[in-house]
Amino acid sequence: MSLVIDGKNVDFSYRVLTNHQSSLKTLFKDFVNRKVRVENYQALSDISFEVTKGETVAIIGKNGAGKSTLLKLLAQVVPPTKGKLQITGTVAPMIELGAGFNQELTGRENIIFYSALLGRDVEKVKQRVDQIADWAGVSDHLDYQLRTFSSGMIARLAFATATDEVSDLLLIDEVLSVGDGEFAQKSRKRMQDIINLGTTIVLVSHDLATVSELANRVIWLENGKLKKNGDPKEVIAAYLSSGS
Amino acid sequence: MRAKKVSLYSLTGFSKNNLQLLRLLIQQELTLRYKRSVIGIGWTLLNPMLTSFVLWIVFSFFFAGKLQTGQQFAPYLMAGVLLNTFFNQGLLQAANSIAANGNILTKVSVPPKIFAFAASLAAFINFLIGLIPLTLVVYISGQSFSFFLPVVLLVGFFLALFVAGVGLALSVIFIRFDDARNIINVLLLIILYLTPVFYPISILNERMQQIVTLNPLTSFLDVFRWSFSNNAVATLADFIYLSLTGIFFFTLGNFFFKRYWPRTVSML
Repeated sequence: MSLVIDGKNVDFSYRVLTNHQSSLKTLFKDFVNRKVRVENYQALSDISFEVTKGETVAIIGKNGAGKSTLLKLLAQVVPPTKGKLQITGTVAPMIELGAGFNQELTGRENIIFYSALLGRDVEKVKQRVDQIADWAGVSDHLDYQLRTFSSGMIARLAFATATDEVSDLLLIDEVLSVGDGEFAQKSRKRMQDIINLGTTIVLVSHDLATVSELANRVIWLENGKLKKNGDPKEVIAAYLSSGS
Repeated sequence: MRAKKVSLYSLTGFSKNNLQLLRLLIQQELTLRYKRSVIGIGWTLLNPMLTSFVLWIVFSFFFAGKLQTGQQFAPYLMAGVLLNTFFNQGLLQAANSIAANGNILTKVSVPPKIFAFAASLAAFINFLIGLIPLTLVVYISGQSFSFFLPVVLLVGFFLALFVAGVGLALSVIFIRFDDARNIINVLLLIILYLTPVFYPISILNERMQQIVTLNPLTSFLDVFRWSFSNNAVATLADFIYLSLTGIFFFTLGNFFFKRYWPRTVSML
């Protein structure tokens, strides 16, 4: 079994100035008065876990437990402060759908640009644009600027573009239900297809019903630490009984 | 020992697909600014002409007679305006680009430097477009073109490196300190006055001449004017100075960025 994610003792912390004002003047004044205190905010500490190819792993936990931070680390947007995090293969982050969409560009240009941001081959995407728009149901609007799109259309277009090419690892942050009833079903089906194709998925969700339906392993984070990692039923039961 | 394969990727950290993205970003930078305007990218042609025209009205009384014989003030001035616009706008856009695309950078894994490089290269292309009206002005003023015209590309290339390097370093500083933006605007104004954009260097006293010569932009400008239409004197020292400036600041900027980016990204 090949590992897609191999995390060993991953730490992530960032520094925050205690009086949060990023102005040189106040910083200088405080510095002279020795009032500058830099605090290390430990978002994740000592997280070790592995994910093998084809698994669907859900990350659960309270707000501020470090779920989204972990997802950012997996998306390779930020490097871990300490420890080792090895990711093999291509990653499609669906952390926020449509991050990178530009209101002034047309639907067509946005599909191409968003795909380029995801590191895909633009030439290949160009040939797929019509199919992507068709699947998202925005074919009529394809050559209009994005600001003429409704928010539902944008979400559909983003989902269609992000899932058009199957990556080795898909990172999802609460984006499973997109658009209206019909499209939500369509997107759910596509997610199922992607899972069946053997793509590895890591998802963050508060919706425990979805988690137990999709995931075959659950990781429970609490205060930046890995609390439990294992069978969905067990972990969810433990999570619920902990009173959160 | 096996020779290490040198690829574009190993040299720049960019994959082939990243280069496609770079192209798209440059396209956007060039066209989006004018998306809602009537003459669109025509502003790129018109802007340096209008700016130069205003400066020409103001300064030609003072400085036109002070140039060396055979040099015309209008092309002299416009070359200065073009190069200064390249530097100023390229730098500010490169420095802003990373903060402006913070939303993307915290969600998708893209080499962040790509945004600064795109801004710098877009400024380079704007500069090249600006050479068209400059050609016109040189022609009208009755000056001849130089045989060394292709050297302009070299000047632009090294200035793009310079701009990208300083822009990268500034981009980190801009994210950390909001005030840096305002300081930079003042600094850019000082640099404008310390570059012989609209005055000939000969009008300055000796002390000031030394300071202005130390400014690397002066070397860029001298070589640019010389290679375009013999409108300045360029020495070998100027060539060496501008290429070293470009390479040095590009390396320094990349190093600075690499060092401070991991800590800065969490502030976006």
